Amino acid sequence: MLKKITLGQYYTANSPIHRLDPRVKLFVTVFYVVSLFLADSWQGYLLGFLFLFFYVAASTVPIKYIMRGLKPVIFLLFFSVMFNLFLAKDGTVLIHFWIIRVTTEGVKTAFFMGIRLVMLIIGSSIMTYTTTPNQLTDALEKSLGFLNRIHLPIHELAMMMSIALRFIPILVEETDKIMKAQLARGANFEEGNILQRAKAMVPILVPLFISAFRRASDLAMAMEARCYHGGDGRTKMKPLRYERRDFIMYLIFALYFAGMIILRIMF
Amino acid sequence: MSIRLEHISLDYQDGGIVRHAIRDVSLEIEDNTFVGLIGHTGSGKSSLIQHMNGLIRPTAGKVFYNGEDIYQEGYSLRQLRNKVGLVFQYPEHQLFEESVFKDVCYGPKNQGLTDQECQERAREALRLVGFPEEAYKKSPFELSGGQKRRAAIAGVLAMNPEVLILDEPTAGLDPMGRDEILDQLKKLKEQRNITIILVSHSMEDMALYAERLIVMDHGRIAYDGTPKEIFSHYQELEKIGLAAPQVTYLMHALKEKGFDVSTDIMTVAQAKAEILRVFGKEPSDQSASDQYAQACKDSASGTGKQNMPDRKCVSEDSGEGSLC
Repeated sequence: MLKKITLGQYYTANSPIHRLDPRVKLFVTVFYVVSLFLADSWQGYLLGFLFLFFYVAASTVPIKYIMRGLKPVIFLLFFSVMFNLFLAKDGTVLIHFWIIRVTTEGVKTAFFMGIRLVMLIIGSSIMTYTTTPNQLTDALEKSLGFLNRIHLPIHELAMMMSIALRFIPILVEETDKIMKAQLARGANFEEGNILQRAKAMVPILVPLFISAFRRASDLAMAMEARCYHGGDGRTKMKPLRYERRDFIMYLIFALYFAGMIILRIMF
Repeated sequence: MSIRLEHISLDYQDGGIVRHAIRDVSLEIEDNTFVGLIGHTGSGKSSLIQHMNGLIRPTAGKVFYNGEDIYQEGYSLRQLRNKVGLVFQYPEHQLFEESVFKDVCYGPKNQGLTDQECQERAREALRLVGFPEEAYKKSPFELSGGQKRRAAIAGVLAMNPEVLILDEPTAGLDPMGRDEILDQLKKLKEQRNITIILVSHSMEDMALYAERLIVMDHGRIAYDGTPKEIFSHYQELEKIGLAAPQVTYLMHALKEKGFDVSTDIMTVAQAKAEILRVFGKEPSDQSASDQYAQACKDSASGTGKQNMPDRKCVSEDSGEGSLC
């Protein structure tokens, strides 16, 4: 039932993007998002789209799979597009009816806003599709290591994040199981008003929370039993090391980013 | 009145790869039978049973309950689930109410019964699974593992299903708890004339309780028949990661050593009777019993299953302890 959530899950493959150093992917993701906010003309969006197109193609993650990952955020997308459509004041008025006013400028910003959000989500989800939680944690820890100097517990934060990511599929599966068990006992999640539906969630949420706490405590115990004591003095079995392909990717991305800046200045 | 599956297949996606959980299974389960379902981990048992009350919709194939297609227009899956009760693996993970009694009432309440009826049902179900009355008002989270399990099984029993499906109801319970729950199920089947489908890994349990045994392997039905028929294929069973009950191996080992015993024996009680029958002719022959002890050892080490002692030897026949 809930198994269809694909956002944020690893997609097993052996593509050039999968093989990249996770730090590169982290860097590309963060600055790709920045670059999307630099774009303010259709040329800019086109360049952003082209980069994303080749990036996705190189990752070999099927488009269908990526699109399925977009489903949970459709609601959010819809609202931000609507707000832009109705709240913009500039430009010629296209439709004026009661308090609703749609202007050319509104249509334009709403359209670009929608595209920007979709590209933003796809661009960042490619990172989680092609990077295992462990790699991601390593990358974060290494890239943000300098913050240790101001006594930010970077290792612990990275560990927390990787555990949270790791637990998404487990909790989804657990929810699915509990839902089925309660359905088998005649639960009804589909009928009734909002209050009744909210009440019908209690038999799912209570066992889910209990199992989440139980898992957390089991995990803490297991980590302690294996002498986990935080990041100090911890070495890596597979330390991150840049290869040639990583520098090539940096170069490609630098060119793309420069292009975005030039387009911003030109148009 | 039966459950009928016609050419059921179930595919699912796993990281972009299509896998087959069930491959073209056709099956009919008649009323008032005790059916055992076995298979190694991942053979599709749990998926198969969830088709029987409409929790999983097959990718291809049809499911009939009492001759009606459960996916035809207007068929109420909720009604179906009232009749086909399903107890999941580790059912204690579904407990949520503040007291055991209230939790057991949840199912009957969903069926639209009055409070009075719910309470009667709950009390009866809890009594059936042997749950101590003084703990009815306790929070389900302060119970022991075995008591939680009983409370959760009672939660499904209270719905008075016509078919009761249980997915490894005894996993993780102590031998006493196991026997009690299985005995209760058998009694239930006889008293209420219901159908019971039991998923289990224990060949001993299957031999004792099941009237019909279905063996699953890689999403297909590998064998379907009485336990006696199926355990006679014990060599084929081993190939798909299963085994016959321990005593069956013992009887085969005895036969090999030249004793004239029957080999289609599945329970310790039957074995005891059979061995006594054979030994009755030569009760004082010392060398014979030495040979016999050697045969026991062979059967234990030969099958590599010494770590699965037959619990029946301890509880029933303390005199025969040396047998195992």
